[in-house]
Amino acid sequence: MQRLPKIVRILAVLSFTLVVVLFAALIVNSFQNAGKPLTSLNPQGPSAESIQQLLIPVTSIAAVVFVLVLGAILFITWRYRERKGTDPEEFPAQVHGKTPLEIGWTILPALILAGIAVGTVMTIINLNREAPNSINVQVAGQQWWWQYKYDINGDGDFNGPGDITTATEMVVPAGRPIQVTTTSNDVIHSFWIPGLNGKKDAVPGLRSPLKLQADEPGIYRGQCTEFCGLSHANMRMLVRAVPSGDYEAWVKNQLTTRGGEPSDPVAAEGKKVWQALCAQCHVINGINDLKMKETPPPLVSGVAPNLTHLMTRGTFAGSIFNLYEPVGADGQPLPMSDVAAAGDPGSALAGGKVDTANVNRVTLEAWLRNAPAMKPMYPQGGRGMPNLNLTEEQIDQLVAFLETLN
Amino acid sequence: MALTEDRPLALPSGGTDEGYTPTGVFTRPTAETGVRSWFTTVDHKKIGIMYGAAAIFFLIIGGAEALLIRMQLWAPRGTLLSANLYNQVYTMHGTTMVFLVVMPIGAAFANYLIPLQIGARDVAFPRINAFSFWAFLFGGLFINSSWLMGGGADGGWFMYAPNSGVIFSPTHGIDFWNLGLIITGIASLTGAVNLIVTVLNMRAPGMTLMRMPIFTWMALVSQFLLLFAIPVLTSAQILLMLDRTFHANFFNVAKGANPLLWEHLFWIFGHPEVYLMILPAFGLVSEILPTFARKPIFGYPFIVFSGIAIGFMGWGVWAHHMFVSGIGPISVTAFSLTTMFIAVPTGVKILNWTATMWGGKLRFSAPMLFSIGLVTMFTIGGLSGVMHSVAPMDSQQTDTYFIVAHFHYVLFGGAFFGFMGAFYFYWSKAFGYMLNESLGKANFWLMLLGFNLTFAPMHVLGLQGMSRRIYTYDPGYGFDFWNKVATIGAFTLASSIALFIFNIFYSKAKAKNLPPVGPDPWDGRTIEWMVPSPTPAYNFDPIPTVTRVDDFWYRKYGETKDGNLVRIASTAEVAQQRTDGKGIHLPSPSYWPLVLAFGLPIVSYGMIFTLWLALVGGIICVGAIYGWVMEPPDDPDLAHDDHGPDAHVSDGGDAAIPETAESLMEVETVG
Repeated sequence: MQRLPKIVRILAVLSFTLVVVLFAALIVNSFQNAGKPLTSLNPQGPSAESIQQLLIPVTSIAAVVFVLVLGAILFITWRYRERKGTDPEEFPAQVHGKTPLEIGWTILPALILAGIAVGTVMTIINLNREAPNSINVQVAGQQWWWQYKYDINGDGDFNGPGDITTATEMVVPAGRPIQVTTTSNDVIHSFWIPGLNGKKDAVPGLRSPLKLQADEPGIYRGQCTEFCGLSHANMRMLVRAVPSGDYEAWVKNQLTTRGGEPSDPVAAEGKKVWQALCAQCHVINGINDLKMKETPPPLVSGVAPNLTHLMTRGTFAGSIFNLYEPVGADGQPLPMSDVAAAGDPGSALAGGKVDTANVNRVTLEAWLRNAPAMKPMYPQGGRGMPNLNLTEEQIDQLVAFLETLN
Repeated sequence: MALTEDRPLALPSGGTDEGYTPTGVFTRPTAETGVRSWFTTVDHKKIGIMYGAAAIFFLIIGGAEALLIRMQLWAPRGTLLSANLYNQVYTMHGTTMVFLVVMPIGAAFANYLIPLQIGARDVAFPRINAFSFWAFLFGGLFINSSWLMGGGADGGWFMYAPNSGVIFSPTHGIDFWNLGLIITGIASLTGAVNLIVTVLNMRAPGMTLMRMPIFTWMALVSQFLLLFAIPVLTSAQILLMLDRTFHANFFNVAKGANPLLWEHLFWIFGHPEVYLMILPAFGLVSEILPTFARKPIFGYPFIVFSGIAIGFMGWGVWAHHMFVSGIGPISVTAFSLTTMFIAVPTGVKILNWTATMWGGKLRFSAPMLFSIGLVTMFTIGGLSGVMHSVAPMDSQQTDTYFIVAHFHYVLFGGAFFGFMGAFYFYWSKAFGYMLNESLGKANFWLMLLGFNLTFAPMHVLGLQGMSRRIYTYDPGYGFDFWNKVATIGAFTLASSIALFIFNIFYSKAKAKNLPPVGPDPWDGRTIEWMVPSPTPAYNFDPIPTVTRVDDFWYRKYGETKDGNLVRIASTAEVAQQRTDGKGIHLPSPSYWPLVLAFGLPIVSYGMIFTLWLALVGGIICVGAIYGWVMEPPDDPDLAHDDHGPDAHVSDGGDAAIPETAESLMEVETVG
C-alpha cells in the first residue's frame, strides 16, 4: 500500500486523458450521421430543419459555457493548489463574496436565456402553424404497430368509403406537407420520425397535431418512443416519401378492393385458410368486412393491421422484419436481415406486380409458423398475434395468397 | 430565533403523572449498545447510519440491475434478458435508485448532520424519526420482494396510465411498486415534517437562520419540497391502487378518463423530486469546498437564496416532461420559459462554488475531488437540461438516450458525486476512523472514468436516435459501438463502488494501528467538527452558542480587516471533550416505531393477496399507535427531571473564545 499514491497518480492521468479523448470522439461522432437512419441530427424536412436551426446555436452556447466553466475550474485547480512546503498556517485572503459579481452572473445567464427564449417561442409558433394544401393522416398507435388513415376525400373523416386505412408504413408525396393527427387505440405511444420532425405522443382519447414534410423521396425510419409495454422496442415504422406521381398511383391502388378468386389454385387455398383463421382479426377490403373496432378507447387490441395491400409495404410486424429484399443507395441488393435499410417493394408499391423472387419468404413463413416467438407479444390478453399452429402446407398456401395482395 | 435547550425534548415524567401506571404497555427499552439497540433506537445518528447502510444495500441491488441492462444492450439483439424481464429490470432500477438510494442517502446525511450542524441533541420527534426509517426500509424491501412473488413492476418508474392498468399489466409487479412507494412516501413525509420542525425550532442559541450551515439550508429546502411533493404522488398512487385493486376508473379511457391526469400528477411530484434529490448534495459540497479551499463560501446569502429560488421555481416546470404529450403550444411555451429560467439560480451556485475555489489554497483530498467532480459533471447535466427546456429540441431528444445521459449527469454526476465526497468527509465523524485517502482518490478517478464512459456516449446515442426503454436494437442503426463503450463504463463504475466498499473495511482494519481521530481532522468550519469523533450520544456538552456563519472556524481563527486569518486558538482548545453525558436528557428508545412500520407492508401484502391479511396489518398498526401514544414518556428510573446544571445548557458563546478574538471578529462582513 506504500506505492498506492503513485498508482493513484497514474490512474488520475489515465482517467483524465481517457475522458478528454472520449469527449473529443463523441463530438466528432455527432457530426457523422451517415448510415444512422434514426438520427435527429440530419434533418430532411422543414420541421426538422427549423429544430436543427435552433439546436446549433443553443448547443454552441452550452458548449462555450461548459468550456469556460471547465477551463476556469482547471485553471483554478492548477493555479491555487496547495504547493508542497508551504506553511499550513498560511491562509489565502478570506473573501466572503462580492455582490456586484453575484448580480452580474445572475443577470448575464438570464440575458442569454432570454435570447434563447425568443428563438424558442418563434420556433414553437412556426412548428404549430398549419401548412396549406396538406394531406390529413390520422396515426394511431396500437400495441405494437402503427395504423394510418388518410382522409383522401377531404371530408374531415378518416373512415369514409373514399379514405385509406393502412399500417406500418406511411406513404407520402415528397415536398408536400402532411398534417398528422396522433392518437392511440390502447396505451400511450409516441410517433417519431427523427428526420422529419420531433415526436408527438399518441394518447388514447386525445388527438394531437404533428406536421411532417419530406423534401426528397426516400425512406425515413421511426421508432415508438413512449414506453408502451412488452414489445415497445419492436414498435417501429417508416415514412416512404415518393414522387407525387407515384403517390397518386399509390392512392389509386389503395382505394381498390379485392374481389374474385386468385387465379393460382394454391393461393385460392390460401384464401380459404385466411378466411377461416386470419379474418378473425385482420381485414382485407372486399373479402371480409369485419368491422374494425373503431378506437373507442381503450381497446384491448384485438384489431390487427389491414392487409388489403400488404405487398405494397416493404416491412411488416411493426416494421421489424423486411417483407422484401432491401436495396442500397447504390442500387445493389442488401441482406434480407438488414431491417434498418427497409425492404423495397419496387413497382408493387403502386399496385404493380409482386416480384416474388424478392419477397422475404423465410421470415414471412417463420412469422406465420409462430409469431410470438418472433416478437414478444401478449396474445392471451388479446394483444398481438397468436401462434395459429398452421401446417407447413397451410403456410405455403397462405404465403401464395398474401403475395397476391399488391 | 432558536429555542434554547433548557426546554426538554420530551415530556418530563416527573411530577405531573405521579402515581400513573400506563396499562398494558411495555416499559421503554433501554439498550444503548448491541444489536438490539439498533432496532429500538431513536438516536438521529444511529438512524442516519442505518439510512446510509440501507441505501448502500439498495445501491448494490439497483447497481446489479444497471449491469444487467448494460449487458443486455452490449450488442444488437441481446438475449440475456427477455423483453418482459428487461422491462421489469429497468423499471426497478429507476425506482430503486431514486426512492431507495438517492433519497435515503440524502435522508442519511440530513438525519446525521442537521442536529449536529444546528447544535441540537436530537431531532424534534425522535420516535417519528425511527418510524420514518423503518417505514422506508420495509417499503423498499416490500417493493423488492416482488422479485420473489411473480416479478417486478414493468411500467417504468414513471408508470404512465393506462399502461399501468390491470389489462395491460396483469401481474402484481405494479401493485408492489405502487403500495411500496406509498409506504416510502409515508416515510418521507413524516421525515420531512420532523426535520422541518427540528431546523425551525431546535437551533442552538445564536444560530439564526442566516447562520445555518449551507447543508442544513439545502436539506431544509429539500424537506419542504418533500412535504408538498410526496402527497401529490401518494394521491395519484391511491387512484392507481383503487383502479387496480377495486376496479375504479380513474385512468380508464373507455369511461372518460384522461391519461394525462396521471402524467400531470406524477410530474408535479416528479420534478420537485429532482431538486429535492440534488439539493442535499449541493449543500454537502458547499461544506466541503470551503474547507479544502481554506476560505469561506463565496456569497453565502446568494447560495442560500438560489437554493430557495430553485425550491420555489421547481414547482412551475413539471410539464417540461410532457412537451410532446399533446398539451398544446401555449402550455408548451409557458413551461419552456419557466424551465429555462430555473437554470439561473442553478448557474449562480456553480459560479459561486468556482469563486469559492478562486484564490484559495486548494487541498485535493478525496472529498474535495468528488466535490470538484460534482461541479463539472453537474454543469454538463445542467446545460443539457437547458437544451431540453427548448421545447422544439426536446421534441427530438425526449425519451431518447440523450435524456438518460442528462439525468444521470444530474443525479449521478451531481447528487451521487456529492454524496461520495460527503462519505469521505464525514466518515470519521460517524465512525471514528478515517477512510483511506489514497484509496479514496483512486475511487474518485475510477468513478469519474466509469461514469463518463457509461453516460457520455448516451448523449450521442440519443441524438442519433436510440430510444429509451428498449430491450433490444437492430444492427444497422449505428448504435453498436457506443453501447459497448457504455457497458464497459458501467463495469468500471461498478468497480469504483466496490473499491469504496472495500475501503470501508480496509480502513477499519487499519484504524486499529492508528491513533484515534480527533474531532476535527479536516480543520472544519461548522460546529459539527467541535464534537468528538465518533459523535457521542448527547452530541454537544455543553451546547455551543453560535455567533456567526462557520462558527467553529472563527473559534479557531480571527480575521483581520484586510481579510487575513490569524490563529487564535488550537483545535484542542476549542473542541469539546468527551464527557460522561450525565444529566443530559435524551429521548429513550422505543419498540413502537418498528412495530408500526412493520404493519404497513402487511397491509400492503393484504391489498395484493387477500384483504384479510390487510386487516391483520391494520390491527398491528392500530395497536402500535396505541402503544406509541400510551408509552410512558421515559424510563422512570432515570432521574431526567433534572435537566442538569447550567453548564450543560450553553457555553454562552464566548466560553472558548479568547478576549483577543473579539476585536478581530468585528470586521466580519457577510456571515
